[in-house]
Amino acid sequence: MLTPYSAKQLFDWLTQAEELLILDVRNEEDFNRFKVESPVEVDMINVPYFDFMEEEEASVAKVPRDKKVRVVCAKEGSAKYVGEILIAHGFEDVGYLTQGIVSWGNMLTDKRINDTADTYELWQFVRPGKASLNYGLISEGELTLFDPSRNMEFYSQFAEAHDCKLTQTFETHLQADYISGSRFLAEKTGAVVHAHAGDFLGASFEYVSIQDGETYKASPKGPDIRIVHTPGHTPGSTCYIIDGKYVISGDTIFIISLGRPDLGGKAVEWATMLYETVNQKIKKMDPNLQVLPGHYIQWSEANEDLVFEKSLGKIIEGNASIYGIDNDKDFQKFILENIRKQPDVYAEIRKVNAGWLNPEDDEQSTMDLGKNECAASAYAAQQAS
Amino acid sequence: MTEFNVDQELDCKGLNCPLPVIKTKKAIDAMESGQILKMVATDPGSKNDISAWTSRTGHELLGTDENDEGFVYFIKKK
Repeated sequence: MLTPYSAKQLFDWLTQAEELLILDVRNEEDFNRFKVESPVEVDMINVPYFDFMEEEEASVAKVPRDKKVRVVCAKEGSAKYVGEILIAHGFEDVGYLTQGIVSWGNMLTDKRINDTADTYELWQFVRPGKASLNYGLISEGELTLFDPSRNMEFYSQFAEAHDCKLTQTFETHLQADYISGSRFLAEKTGAVVHAHAGDFLGASFEYVSIQDGETYKASPKGPDIRIVHTPGHTPGSTCYIIDGKYVISGDTIFIISLGRPDLGGKAVEWATMLYETVNQKIKKMDPNLQVLPGHYIQWSEANEDLVFEKSLGKIIEGNASIYGIDNDKDFQKFILENIRKQPDVYAEIRKVNAGWLNPEDDEQSTMDLGKNECAASAYAAQQAS
Repeated sequence: MTEFNVDQELDCKGLNCPLPVIKTKKAIDAMESGQILKMVATDPGSKNDISAWTSRTGHELLGTDENDEGFVYFIKKK
């Protein structure tokens, strides 16, 4: 039978390690640029839909028959088209992804991070299509979001399900790799946006300009949100320390590597800022703080509950080759050696996030697709592996 | 851009994949070798699909254009 499935269903099957085959029927170029990344190993093949048009038998023969087949395409139509061909060839359990790979790219999933005995709830929202992470903090019926994406529907459903109201958002920095939802959420709900002027000076929307050392509240009696200005990835990069226990680190601290400081085109200058931040700010934080980063490089960084969270002490230990660099010159050298091209679309995404550009919804979806390129040494690590 | 001596035109505006490629294949199949098809689509996905499909099948993608009409392709049958 040919049945539709959603990106969320696919994610759930993958996390439950269901035996299935992902058949991606997009052209090779699009497939290589961006594909489903699974938390667990999964069989995946790429056979473009037009191969099924040209050589039906030979293409069908490429698809193993011993597993359920889940077809993925750009929008939906081609997956359905190929699905019908497979069914006609006797395949029994075939599904097609509704709304295509874009829906995978936008999908968010949620995981509770903190102890259920706490008076507040801290949630990690994973966006597998982007390898990016954002956060929600619920306290006394008020919801604070950190680095929300533009998936409005997800946040409103989340707020409804948890009986809370969005009151404020905090940006860790001006994102270049995905479109931020903060200003759209603010327009829709009246939530107050908080951001650092180092990145957001001149933004077209209103925001509260946060300063190093300030403390905000998740709700009147809720946990503290302490501001630590950590320039380097960008001049306005900021970490948020929640309840003295967690640090939402944006693109500054990652579980593997650090946020690359070359995206703004001033690699040496920003690398120097980052070096200062590492030594004067990060290393002086409590090593027991649980780091909640803005991205991951691969699923293997997640813990057994599929949460991306690690103590600062362990992160510094695990990235000794970076944190151990003891002078500015060598640090610059490390950064320069790891520089790689950033996607062309990043310049445009920055403008959208500062409110200087307002593309149509469709165009935003396209701009927003693809895995992030934000870690300093991801490229080097991938080359080495 | 270069003008081609188009033998046949195909309008795929408003159609999403797989239809532009399916219709293009049907049109090309009915044409003579060496003839040129002009196809216009509005689905941005057609860009990489048409180029991948032509290199797979051996038909020649003579040129492409992006204008008010949409994405325009000139394909010569092998």
